[in-house]
Parts: sequence; structure tokens; C-alpha cells
Amino acid sequence: MHLRVGAGSDRGRVRTMNEDAYMLRARDGLFLVCDGMGGAPAGEVASQMAVDAIDRQLHTNGSAESESAAERAEYLPQTRKLAAAVRWSNAFIYDQAQKDPRQSGMGTTVVGAWIHEHVASVAHVGDSRAYLCRGDRLEALTRDHSLGEVVRRAAARAGQEIDVPRARHDVLVRVLGREPDVDVDVSEVPMQPGDYLLLCSDGLTRMVPESVMASAIREQREPQRICDYLITAANGNGGADNITVVVVEVADRWWRRLMERRRRPAGRGEDVEAYAAV
Amino acid sequence: MSKLTLQFEGRLLKDYIVGAGLTIGRLPDNGVIIDNPAVSGHHARVVCEGDQIVLEDLHSTNGTWVNTQQVTRHALTHGDVILIGKHHLVFDRHAAADQNVPAMPSLGDTVYLDTNEHRALRATLEDARVQAERIAKERAVTKATARAGVLRVIAGDADAQEYDLTAQTSLIGRSSNAHVRLRGWFKPAIAVAIARSSDGYLATPMGGKPSLNHEPLTARHLLQEGDVLTVGGLALEFHWRAPQRTESAA
Repeated sequence: MHLRVGAGSDRGRVRTMNEDAYMLRARDGLFLVCDGMGGAPAGEVASQMAVDAIDRQLHTNGSAESESAAERAEYLPQTRKLAAAVRWSNAFIYDQAQKDPRQSGMGTTVVGAWIHEHVASVAHVGDSRAYLCRGDRLEALTRDHSLGEVVRRAAARAGQEIDVPRARHDVLVRVLGREPDVDVDVSEVPMQPGDYLLLCSDGLTRMVPESVMASAIREQREPQRICDYLITAANGNGGADNITVVVVEVADRWWRRLMERRRRPAGRGEDVEAYAAV
Repeated sequence: MSKLTLQFEGRLLKDYIVGAGLTIGRLPDNGVIIDNPAVSGHHARVVCEGDQIVLEDLHSTNGTWVNTQQVTRHALTHGDVILIGKHHLVFDRHAAADQNVPAMPSLGDTVYLDTNEHRALRATLEDARVQAERIAKERAVTKATARAGVLRVIAGDADAQEYDLTAQTSLIGRSSNAHVRLRGWFKPAIAVAIARSSDGYLATPMGGKPSLNHEPLTARHLLQEGDVLTVGGLALEFHWRAPQRTESAA
């Protein structure tokens, strides 16, 4: 399977530090974005810790002992492995935070995708998001674990009104590292040639509407150009938070790629032949 | 109130409040002055039409671009990026709208729900969750159990006579991950992926030449009762399983 990958992370216009972290293991089809929190150095520590812990855990051949029976029946092995690795990283960060008072209270969001045999397993905790762009449609693959989303869902499901001040809608109800255990949301998405997968931190989604994200993918085409464009757009709209974007394109067969090369702008994205070695 | 933010190579240069007749160009009599040879003297202007804000190119030499498309007239929407010469102008529809609305204290901040202030909120949420679960349970009773689909083998050599589609994603192919295994060297690793969703089962062609009801399967397709999927020498018929009655269905 041929993937073309672009990524970028920017401090934004307001923050003094970048607490986001991302990781590309393009050959393994593994991609992660984390958005750390917890002030001082702890935020960036937590996000980097999560990225490293998940990567490490996926490369050890440990079995996913923490999974439930329902999960085992419903999801593909790689999805379960990814979810287990995310849960493991939660416990790891939590332990570290308990040990070191300077890092107490640190936490991070995570969104990860593992593409294996053309099926992307997506796992997330918090408000970092994954999108699938197929043809002209941009489809959200994740639902934020934020108060605002809880309120919206309750309203949609049962017409329930939960009174939460608007200013509190961005508060997260789930993150990695703040409690000994965490629920990880997972999903599976079959990927076809020409599909784009976009992972990002909330620094992008709060600054750039989804319509602009969709048109950026449609018009820029090349993953690295899409990332650069979106980061510029987010900064242009204020850049209130760190911005991290990872874009993965499932490329077509080689002769189609050769033809496409003439028709679309060149970019600096990385071209890899991915095989799941993990 | 809307604004345009002028940027050059990722650097923020200046904000401009958008008003009727704001002009953009190289000459000093413009509202937005971009002193660069690639920019025409009077390059473009912004006009208000009703509640729309429209960008007009004033027959400039090098053209005006919005979100990478060249435009002569374009109704601006929030987040649009205008390219003039090598300068970007980002359009912000609601910049500093209504000063009396308190700024969001958490704007851009990642905050987790566990401070004292949030304890109360948490209790409210817990109530909501309990209530939602109760409602979900009631619905589950009325709807009996969620309907499940099954693929029946009607032709070809397979491991089983039928395959239950209980998983989130069921794969058909040569892969060891596949729910419906295809045998043989030249079979695709994954031919079709069937994803379960709230609407039903969505079949996505992934490799080889799968067909549906004797037509090539090229796009995603929502499986219907009686659909026949032909893939790698197997013919599989899709059926809904009769919903299993739960004792509480009455």
C-alpha cells in the first residue's frame, strides 16, 4: 500500500511553547497527534510521553489483556492493539505524574490512526480529531470528549437540556494521564486510493472551519502542502493554540501516480510503501 | 465586524477592519497598501452587498486568488485566504464581534474537568448520563435487538456456509485478518471491507474486481436484502437475520 504523508506543528501566535507532539511511522502506517496540557513543562512532557509510550507499546508483542470480551468480538486485532496501547500510555503517564510533583496534573489528548491492509484503525481520547476526506466530502471520524459535545449529544438523543455555560464547552471530560484508567474510543475505516486521512489538534479545528479544511485538501492535493496551508490559515485566524496537522493520502497505483504527478503541484511530502511490520 | 489580516511568509503584518470600499493595492491611496511589484496599483476592493462581503478584482495584472482559486468576484466566508502577489489576507467574519460578550476564558486552552468549579458540572453530567442510559434501555426494548446481517455462500468453495456480520468491520480477502477467507495465490489481500454503521452495512471495494449483482462494485454501497456479492470465486448473498426476540419485547 502506498502512502504519501505530510505533517507540521506550529506554536501558534499566542503561546510561548508548543505542547503538541506528533509521530509518523509511515512505513508501519502509524500516525499519532497529542495535545498536552498542565502548564509549565508538564504539558509538552505529557504529549511526548504519550507518543513514545504508544509507539513503544505497539512494538512490543504484548497481548492486549485489558480488553473486554465485547471489544474482542467486534474489532480487528490491530484496532484492539492500538486501543490497548493508548490505555497503557494513560497508566504510564498517570504513574509518572504521581511520582514527580513537578509533573502532577499533566495530561494529554491523543488521536491515533493505524493503517493496516487498507483499513485505518482510529483511536482517540480528548478533542484532537481525525477526519476522512473522500471525494468532496470531509467526514469527522471522532467525537470530542468535551462538555460541549456531551451537551449536544444529550440534546440530540433525548431533547435533554444540560445547563453548561458556553465558555465551558471546551472543557474536556476525558484525557490521558489524569485518572488511573481511561475509556478509549475506537473506529475502523476502510481506506480507498485517493482517500485522505487528517489528524489534528484543536489548535486547527478552533481556528479553521471544516469547509476550509475540505477545500484545502481538494485544492492543495499534496499532503505536505495541505498541512502548511492549514497551519498558515489557523495562524491567520488568530493562532490561539498550538497547531498540529498530519495528512496521509492513500495513493493510487503507480501508473496513476505517474499521471497525477504532471497534474498536481509538487510538495515536500514523504512517499512511502507501507507494510505493517508492527 | 469583520477584519482582514495581512500576512507575508507566515508573518502577521497588520489587521484591517473591513468596511465598504476598502481597497487593496500598491499605491498609497489604498486602504490596504502592499508595496510589492507583483501587486497592481489598485489591485482589488471589498464591497458590502446586503450582509455579504464581496471581494472584487480590479483587473489586476497578476490576479486575485481565494483559497487557491483565481477569482474576479467572490463572496467572502469566514476563514477565506486571499492571495495577492505573495501576500495573504485572511478573512475573519466575526473578529471581536460584540465586545460585551465575555471572552472565552478557555480560548485555546486545553482544560480538563477536575477543578472544584467543575465538580458541580460533573454531577450534572452524571445525571444526564444516567438518564440517557435509561432512555437507551427503553428504546432497546422497543426495538428488540439491533438487526444483524449475514452473508450466505451460494457458490464457490468457502470455509463456512454463512458468515455472521457481527464485527465493526468484516473483511473479505486472502489476509489472515479476513472474516471471509479467500484461498489462492492471486486473490487480493483484502477484496471488500464491510463496515457496520447505524444505517446498515456499507460494502467498500478494496482490491481485485468484486462485483455486486453482476455489476462491478466500484463505490461504497449500502447492502440491501438479497444483494449478491461476487468476489474471488465466491458468491455471497446478503440477508438480514430475523431479529432475535428478547423476553422483554412484550
